[in-house]
Amino acid sequence: MAPPAQSSRYPSPSQPSGKGEVSDLRLQLRQLAGSRAPGVDDSKRELFKKVISYMTIGIDVSSLFGEMVMCSVTPDIVLKKMCYLYVGNYAKVNPDLALLTINFLQRDCKDQDPIIRGLALRSLSSLRVANLVEYLVGPLGSGLKDNNAYVRTVAVMGAVKLYHISASTCIDADFPATLKHLMLNDSDSQVVVNCLFALQEIWNSESSKSEEATREKEGLISKPFIYYLLNRLREFNEWGQCLVLELVAKYVPSDTNENFDIMNLLEDRLQHANGAVVLATIKVFLQLTLSMADVHQEVYERIKAPLLTLVSSGSPEQSYAVLSHLHLLVMRAPYIFASDYKHFYCQYNEPSYVKKLKLEMLTAVANESNTYEIVTELCEYAANVDVPIARESIRAVGKIALQQYDVNAIVDRLLQFLEMEKDYVTAEALVLVKDLLRKYPQWSHDCIAVVGNISSKNVQEPKAKAALIWMLGEYAQDMDDAPYILESLVENWEEDAPEVRLHLLTAIMKCFFRRPPETQKALGIALAAGVADFHQDVHDRALFYYRLLQYDVSSAERVVNPPKQAVSVFADTQSNEIKDRIFDEFNSLSVVYQKPSYMFTDKDHRGPFEFSDEIGNLAVGVESEHEVPATSVDANETSDLLLSTTEKEETRAMVANGSDYTAPLYDSSTRALPSQGQSELAITNLLGTSDPGPQASMAIDDLLMGLDLTAPPAPASAPPSLKLNARAALDAGSFQRKWRELPVAIYQECELSSQGAAALTSAQALLQHMQGNSIQCIASGGQSPNFKFFFFAQKAEEPSVFLVECKINTSTAKAQLNIKAEDQSTSHGFSALFQSALSRFGTS
Amino acid sequence: MPVAASAIYFLNLRGDVLINRLYRDDVGGNMVDAFRMHIMQTKELGTCPVRQIGGCSFFYMRISNVYIVIVVSSNANVACAFKFVVEAVALFKSYFGGAFDEDAIRNNFVLIYELLDEIMDFGYPQNLSPEILKLYITQEGVRSPFSSKQSLDKPVPNATLQVTGAVGWRREGLAYKKNEVFLDIVESVNLLMSSKGSVLRCDVTGKILMKCFLSGMPDLKLGLNDKIGLEKESQLKNRPTKSGKTIELDDVTFHQCVNLTRFNSEKTVSFVPPDGEFELMKYRITEGVNLPFRVLPTIKELGRTRMEVNVKVKSVFGAKMFALGVVIKIPVPKQTAKTSFQVTSGRAKYNASIDCLVWKIRKFPGQTEPTLSAEIELISTIAEKKSWTRPPIQMEFQVPMFTASGLRVRFLKVWEKSGYNTVEWVRYITKAGSYEVRC
Repeated sequence: MAPPAQSSRYPSPSQPSGKGEVSDLRLQLRQLAGSRAPGVDDSKRELFKKVISYMTIGIDVSSLFGEMVMCSVTPDIVLKKMCYLYVGNYAKVNPDLALLTINFLQRDCKDQDPIIRGLALRSLSSLRVANLVEYLVGPLGSGLKDNNAYVRTVAVMGAVKLYHISASTCIDADFPATLKHLMLNDSDSQVVVNCLFALQEIWNSESSKSEEATREKEGLISKPFIYYLLNRLREFNEWGQCLVLELVAKYVPSDTNENFDIMNLLEDRLQHANGAVVLATIKVFLQLTLSMADVHQEVYERIKAPLLTLVSSGSPEQSYAVLSHLHLLVMRAPYIFASDYKHFYCQYNEPSYVKKLKLEMLTAVANESNTYEIVTELCEYAANVDVPIARESIRAVGKIALQQYDVNAIVDRLLQFLEMEKDYVTAEALVLVKDLLRKYPQWSHDCIAVVGNISSKNVQEPKAKAALIWMLGEYAQDMDDAPYILESLVENWEEDAPEVRLHLLTAIMKCFFRRPPETQKALGIALAAGVADFHQDVHDRALFYYRLLQYDVSSAERVVNPPKQAVSVFADTQSNEIKDRIFDEFNSLSVVYQKPSYMFTDKDHRGPFEFSDEIGNLAVGVESEHEVPATSVDANETSDLLLSTTEKEETRAMVANGSDYTAPLYDSSTRALPSQGQSELAITNLLGTSDPGPQASMAIDDLLMGLDLTAPPAPASAPPSLKLNARAALDAGSFQRKWRELPVAIYQECELSSQGAAALTSAQALLQHMQGNSIQCIASGGQSPNFKFFFFAQKAEEPSVFLVECKINTSTAKAQLNIKAEDQSTSHGFSALFQSALSRFGTS
Repeated sequence: MPVAASAIYFLNLRGDVLINRLYRDDVGGNMVDAFRMHIMQTKELGTCPVRQIGGCSFFYMRISNVYIVIVVSSNANVACAFKFVVEAVALFKSYFGGAFDEDAIRNNFVLIYELLDEIMDFGYPQNLSPEILKLYITQEGVRSPFSSKQSLDKPVPNATLQVTGAVGWRREGLAYKKNEVFLDIVESVNLLMSSKGSVLRCDVTGKILMKCFLSGMPDLKLGLNDKIGLEKESQLKNRPTKSGKTIELDDVTFHQCVNLTRFNSEKTVSFVPPDGEFELMKYRITEGVNLPFRVLPTIKELGRTRMEVNVKVKSVFGAKMFALGVVIKIPVPKQTAKTSFQVTSGRAKYNASIDCLVWKIRKFPGQTEPTLSAEIELISTIAEKKSWTRPPIQMEFQVPMFTASGLRVRFLKVWEKSGYNTVEWVRYITKAGSYEVRC
């Protein structure tokens, strides 16, 4: 029987609604329960199948529990399995009824057939009902000693399951020691592997509580044990091999001979058909040779071929998993892969996630010898139908141009892009040309000629428009109609993005310094529009320029348009520390997400956690910490999943903190808010020393015709009173996402009080202090004198949040703040609030 | 940690749950809703097979009309997870006898639950070998051979020992009347050619598929005309390398039955094969590839509404051989209104849904060069003056008894202690992988 077609969204007449069918089933099950007629098993099977199929599609059939258990007394193994599956699914909701099943499960655990013993034991340990664990210990104990390997493999996993239901029961029954004994002595490879799975989980989470577990955990990567596993490696199936290799990668050999012995032993694993084994082996090789630079390089050469094979075989998903790792290696050592660039050419039908990685690798491996081919290939993709890929490939061309000394040919190609007359191509190319000019100002002539021909009407994307405007401002003297283009752009002030408006202000200023008479009108309009602008930054900049000009034009020029130095290297987005950490977590999700695991840790682990400085522990530690059993989830819970989990975590976090305090709403409006006034003051000071220049003949007041600025229009900048939510909640994932999405609103340095600096001996102290000020910490790390924190806070009435990255050096008592805010208008208020809270640290 | 999957879901394309197996409690019960809401119902679908939602990561794969989703809550091993799915699907296929799709799942869902129980415990992969699992999970779902009533008339020797045993791929006591071995070398050629006719990228991925129906515990030894193997052999036997073509394999991977230590020392492929079908080895070659076809396109855009397309396809393998199922897809612009064409061989058709001229030649002899010439009329559009960006011409084909790499089987020896005779069958076939010619 097939399960009925299910649909939650399109109910059809044939769709069982639940109620009627369930009671029907109950009647039929009751009839069969006592029957011993021949063929009764077959009808039971049909019924059971129905029940299971309803269960699969999400209809609640838990009310049949009693009847199912009654029917379960049968020698038919398929019936048994279906019944076990059912019981395992619903025992949690029906703990009382689950007790009924204990009896027959325990009996089956003593069956003469090992398969039945195993099945019963697995089901018994999967009931996950805390008050039934007493019935589990006995069967598990005998299961571990069973003379059949199948039963032992099941029993070993049962022991971990028990640990997750009730850790103390598992420890008290001394199961870890039994598992250890089995792991070292059992003749069956699967038993050994399962023991290893189990003990890693148990000892990882125990090691925070007991020293003995820590010692045992370290014992897993001790020399005798690693050698024991390596010697048995070939017996294990592929998954077991992956596990063992993962462990070996953590082992630190005592000398180089040992290093080579292990690598020689494992070399044939690189030819294994299972890509996961190959990747695990590669990890071992890379880790073992980290300290031997030349061998490390040889390892790269050796693993190249197997990696490329893995990439070109298997499904796109598998090849993506491998490509992500290849990508990591290419980024670390592009020169080794320079001759293999053709492998990174994209095929037309490849999924875009594969293409994207390939493009990045092509960019990375470009060097003097292959640049021509690579750029030619990339230009092919620029005409690709897949627009995001076409954009990526144009960006790639630009990046190569920025890496290379010989940019001649590339510049030509970029300029050709500008002439392709496709909006997105033009847009990307403009951004690139801008970056290129910042690095190679000597190319300005060629570029400007082409850029000048682009009609600003065809450029719509903010980034591209901003780039075009920047160039108009920067090279105003070379482009005849620059002032007029700028003027026409000012006319559409309202329609542009804030980013564009900011650039427009600056560009017009620059233009004005070079060609005053032509630009005067545009500048007047722009400043007027800017001062009236609702966007805080635009408003501030316009006001700033206006006052600068009012004060002294030549000083203004020195501030706005100083001579520039060409940028030699653009800042890398990812720090080396992070890259290394990802490398240490090779062969895991970190590589695919391109961020270390602490950045995407799971929901169970919210709240402050330390950045571990010991990388070796990190990989192990991260795993274990997540095995905290989740709170029970109602089976028929239909509310939004993410919402409900956050709520639960929140309550759990509160309980976990052990404090049920209710912090008062923190009212910042009572505190001094110096930011606005101070900044004006600063500007006056800044310019106060310079002499009024002779060129100040331009009548500034004339310039700002009819603009009434006598009363500075401050309403937009008046800081609204800011209240923070004392129980703000944000999980690590959303923090990550927001941090990536939001621009930096404020970057500031501030000082700590000397008492504060002295009190900051551990990260924990500051966390508590900030929490008292309704500012929560999501991650912290570092050691004296350098600390780093990520904080967040939430407004009391709205869900809008603030994110803060705070680096503190206690020896200089200075802090650097990077503040991001969902609601930009209150970011200054929050900044002041944050600083005042920080400055009070240690004084109270 | 290899996988530690918290849950596995099978969904159809609409998002209905076909199979739902929770292994661990560390994720919520309705993760599948999150998957539906954040991936299936958004444009995200297909943009990346690994996604993070909340604290969990989702790995998903589409296989025919089914999505298989693995949910993990830790920093899991991605390659391992995908490999597990692929292996699991292979296992299901071997049970269903072929197709793996929504219908097959609906018809066999109890069996799938049984298998999911065995192949993964508490999120950790266990034994996935069909050979072993079939011993105690039978397709008909009959009673266990161990249950007391049946054990007398149908004894299966120590199956559970082998369930977890070391030689996981073959059981003892097999007997066949006729001992046969089938060996197929299947190659797929990947080509990317520029519009000027130069080869941008070209490689061959090959696999050797075997089907063994052999009694007892046979030892097999396979010799190929690959360079390393031949050199090693002549070294061992102290003979000069024989002349003739030798093939340089870039990389080889083997089925777990192949003795890798022996391969590394003696460079011979020796193994005790599993019973039935399996993939013995995979290899990759980038040097010296014989391309079976050359495609010479000329596309002329005559004004804004007319195009002329001429494509010549040259077969460059032996005249006695022939290719089967040749399909050439020639892209045309979206605004194609009318097409007319002539072909010297096969049939051509305009397929508007993929914007291609599809030219099919069922049987394509070697050393011939049929042509297609087409005239295409376009709907004139006023707005777009930009030129059409041409996707590449794509080709599909199969060439039996031809290997693009030139790889040949030199010998296949079967040795068993009872000394029976075996019949060996060797076939070669080359298929198109992604065979693209820009125009």
